[in-house]
Amino acid sequence: MTSPTLDAGADGAPPARGRSADAPSRSAAGRTDGRPGSRLRTRRRLEGGAVTVGSVLAALVWISPLILLVVSALRPLSDFLSNGPVSWPQELTLANFPEAWEAGQFGTAYLNSTILLLVKVPLGVLVASLLAYALAKLEFPFRNVILFTVVLGMTIPIYIAIVPLFTMLRGIGMTDSIAGIIPPYIAFGLPLQVLILQAFFRRVPEELLEAARIDGAGDVRIFARVVLPLSVPALVTVAILDGVATWNELFLALSLLSSEENRTIPLGLLNFQGQFATNYTGLAAGILIAVVPILVLYMLLQKYIVGGLTAGATKG
Amino acid sequence: MIAQTIDRTPRGAGPVGASGATARPSTPRLRLLPFAFAAPALLLYLGFLVWPALQALWISLTDWDGLSDQQSFIGLGNYAAMLEDPVVGIAAWNNVLWALVTIALPMTLGLLLAVVLNRKSRTSPVLRTIFYAPAVLPLVSIASIWAWLYDPSDGAINTILGAVGLSGLEQAWLGQDSTALWSVMIPAVWVRTGFPMLLYLAALQSIPDELYEAASMDGATRWQQFWRITVPSLKDTHYIVLALSLIESFKVFDLVYAMTYGGPGYSTQVMGTWMYANVFQYFEAGYGTAIAVVITLVAIAAGIPYVRSQVKSS
Repeated sequence: MTSPTLDAGADGAPPARGRSADAPSRSAAGRTDGRPGSRLRTRRRLEGGAVTVGSVLAALVWISPLILLVVSALRPLSDFLSNGPVSWPQELTLANFPEAWEAGQFGTAYLNSTILLLVKVPLGVLVASLLAYALAKLEFPFRNVILFTVVLGMTIPIYIAIVPLFTMLRGIGMTDSIAGIIPPYIAFGLPLQVLILQAFFRRVPEELLEAARIDGAGDVRIFARVVLPLSVPALVTVAILDGVATWNELFLALSLLSSEENRTIPLGLLNFQGQFATNYTGLAAGILIAVVPILVLYMLLQKYIVGGLTAGATKG
Repeated sequence: MIAQTIDRTPRGAGPVGASGATARPSTPRLRLLPFAFAAPALLLYLGFLVWPALQALWISLTDWDGLSDQQSFIGLGNYAAMLEDPVVGIAAWNNVLWALVTIALPMTLGLLLAVVLNRKSRTSPVLRTIFYAPAVLPLVSIASIWAWLYDPSDGAINTILGAVGLSGLEQAWLGQDSTALWSVMIPAVWVRTGFPMLLYLAALQSIPDELYEAASMDGATRWQQFWRITVPSLKDTHYIVLALSLIESFKVFDLVYAMTYGGPGYSTQVMGTWMYANVFQYFEAGYGTAIAVVITLVAIAAGIPYVRSQVKSS
């Protein structure tokens, strides 16, 4: 997305063209000026150093809550209470973790959230991409109306639907079940996914589809063998964004899932927070249990997250 | 399977181009295929989003408790009751404040961070990762972390204030009307700053260096360049960030619910939490749904220009 615009900018800027005759590399233009340039350069370098130091300090402040959390989770409660929350631990321990894991029943919560994620995300992305393909590449009556109506769903807060959803699911005995919560999750995930995917599918060249058609492929095969493979980056992005949203969702889970054995991670943590209110180090350990796997995944997958957010929000 | 039947249609050797689909002889099967692609998603969308939302319109006109079989039509009674309900006033105002603060601060901070981190340096990617990190965490965990930091007796914030000689400022951040809402907004800003930062970083790539070079030759200061070049060039991004943040701000629930449950008193109630309390705590499903309808209508109205721009451009 960025490179074509960069090129266009460089070609389209008329003032640069006159200068480019004596300065082949435009970025080096500053250096051709001679003596004043070197003074400028040292100033720039000092400035750059100051900015780097400043931004590193700001980043440390920014993650200090997480650092404090880690330090506190690794010390005994007595040490925390006698030395205060912002101090170097005199004693280290891992005992907070098993204690928090047990009390918060994080095993159950992890299992539930994982099942939810593994069923909901692939299913949601599949149906979203089918619809996105129909809207992007097939002849379809009221195509724009449908696209508009689906994308408009982005603006609808989930709580307008909660009472009817609750009633509907109770009618078929599906409240308080992970399976029952999946269809509404898919429905509320669709708008953003369809928006991103249809924009991406549109950019698949029509000639490729036409060539496949001439070779005897039908729309189903074109979708599966041409469009999807070309769209892997968009699919991965959409899946990750959807995964994060599903994993973190509170409102629907809180309203529909009532029993202990059906708790997801946010519900488990919410419940745990209430129980452990004054056990500060245990609380820190519990929060970390809920958070560390996501942070690790974020580090590993951040390339897709960053790329996807940008692509998704800026018209693809 | 369906695919093969369609492709038996003979086609001329000449390329038909982008309008190929219309040139094909139309059999009933052919016209059904797009619906087969669209149907699963559309059925889910209609069944679990559109239909419940429409049902909510009806429920908001009743006095239903959400559980019993008794449900009587009371017209706009719930809406009239909202006008009389002081908590709705508090919640609506809190939603406005929430929107202002959690849009303006993350946008400003995100833009500044983007400008600073846009320079090529070894630290930039790491710092970018750090500043975005809070955004991937469950809001419930954000709430737990900050409630833990705000703890009046053993929280880090009061401890630090005491340590730097500002013990006069130590207080029960979440426990008093005057500070509770602001204390919930700070973690929201912490979470929401990463998103505009990333969008601004991407957009900054497309501002040509020549603009800055020409400006500095003309003697423009950094500050002038920022206001005259950077800020106007990012117009599209400002719009997108603003629109998405606005849409998001109407959905505020998790942080308030998990940190203060709308309290102390009603001081941090927002429309989402007050709706939830009415439905699940006071068993006023009709009234709670009316609250949800109002906020949803506002959210849709606010979101339509953005949705239209996205759909049109694609």
